[in-house]
Amino acid sequence: MKPELDETSGQHTTGHEWNGIKELNTPMPKAFSIWLWLSIAVAVLLWLLYPAWPYVTHYTGGILGYSSRIAVTEQVEAGRAQRAETFAPFETMDVAELAEMPNLRETYEPAISVLFRDNCAACHGRDAVGQINFPNLTDDHWLWSGTPEEIEYTLQVGINSSHDDTRYAEMPAFGLNEMLEQPEIKDVIEYVLQISGQEHDAAKAQAGETVFVDNCESCHNEGGIGELENGAPSLIDGAWIYGGTRESLAETLKYGRAGVMPHWSDRLSASEIRQLTLYLLWAGQDGNGD
Amino acid sequence: MDGKHAKLERNGIAFAMMILFVASLGGIFEIAPLFTIENTVEEAPGMRPYSPLELAGRDIYVREGCYACHSQMIRTLKSDVDRYGHYSLAAESMYDHPHQWGSKRTGPDLARIGQKYSDAWHVAHLKAPREFVQGSVMPGYPFLSETPLDTKPLPASLRALQRAGVPYTDAQIEAAVRDAAAQADVDVDFEDELRESYGENVQVRDFDGQPDRLTEMDALVAYLQMLGTLVDFDQIKTEEIAR
Repeated sequence: MKPELDETSGQHTTGHEWNGIKELNTPMPKAFSIWLWLSIAVAVLLWLLYPAWPYVTHYTGGILGYSSRIAVTEQVEAGRAQRAETFAPFETMDVAELAEMPNLRETYEPAISVLFRDNCAACHGRDAVGQINFPNLTDDHWLWSGTPEEIEYTLQVGINSSHDDTRYAEMPAFGLNEMLEQPEIKDVIEYVLQISGQEHDAAKAQAGETVFVDNCESCHNEGGIGELENGAPSLIDGAWIYGGTRESLAETLKYGRAGVMPHWSDRLSASEIRQLTLYLLWAGQDGNGD
Repeated sequence: MDGKHAKLERNGIAFAMMILFVASLGGIFEIAPLFTIENTVEEAPGMRPYSPLELAGRDIYVREGCYACHSQMIRTLKSDVDRYGHYSLAAESMYDHPHQWGSKRTGPDLARIGQKYSDAWHVAHLKAPREFVQGSVMPGYPFLSETPLDTKPLPASLRALQRAGVPYTDAQIEAAVRDAAAQADVDVDFEDELRESYGENVQVRDFDGQPDRLTEMDALVAYLQMLGTLVDFDQIKTEEIAR
């Protein structure tokens, strides 16, 4: 059929006619069809360059041999190398040497605080002062000594953690496991209140001293001064992890305590653990040393 | 331009065939990749079906809508890997029905939260998150510690997953209730059986700080502490899982 020319628009009609109404045969605008064919061409190019089409057992890998997983591994490695440069002293020196170095804090503290916030702040708080059940890291009261090496070791293996060489410390459940009678527990609580300088019942405290000597001293040391060797806290320094009130002491004696510090040797690099160790030493330098 | 589509429009059968072809493309693109699933899911040593207690925890995770704010998908992006650890493998969600990848991070990604913090922290944090994390908007879930875990539906859950392709054995399904209690260490001495049945990487202990009770908190914390810890990445080479 010969297309009829519509004089008003200058276009051909489709040749159909419905009760005198005719339809213009308007093709797609040129710009649109160029865009369409261009998109298809780009798609074909990408199919050739990158992994694209699956087939029965595999997929087309593309000329570039690109893999997002290899790419990200390389980027992460590059980032690591860059950090090794930025934190150069922490790569080569041990924590004792680092602790002696001047001006380290000014340079590195802001950067390390990011590492601390991401990994440590959840339990110990953003400013490292701890919260109930999680110890303050800025004071001078350490469970396993505050020397650089010991802090580093705690970070590496954790306390009561799943690491094979974990530090291990457990306060037994004297009440629940019936290792002590109820009156004995009441007495020893009064004794602990006494030695920690709190309001107490003197008569019961005196009875409690015997209980303490027989049951508690082997870990908490004579007079409850604590023992860094086994992570038993001092009971007289006024710093409490689980609270020093009569009620919290009763709970501690009944159920025991075995706080867990996760180990970080799998999650953080040796250098990052050294950075955090130094960060804690610096945090301890602020304040009044208590 | 004129002639071509005019010809097509006048040939009804050909036109219908072409419409069918174009409309089916969407379906083909969704379905065809499933035939290659074998080489999409990596060989991942250590990956195993969830233990009954972890599965119960996962159900609570889904029930409480944790996925609305937390993703479980560490993407192959440097920023993701730097912050959260090794990028997620397909294998790590192969036993998830449905997966918990999520699409929005109001809170942090949880794909490798397992064993990052202590159980005590998880319990305290789940009870009152905003007291523990500055700037957090997470709601508290204190009732989890008070709610006894209902283990009765577990065998049926395992059975349903078995039908969906998770390789639970009939023996595991039968022992599901017992295994759930054994993992939280509640007066049940079947730890060895549990480990033998599910693998050495099952964590057995009291999770919620209440040794005498099996609560929903036990289940949820057991699930969270397992996340991202199953696969032994020392045994995997990047080239082997390159995609």
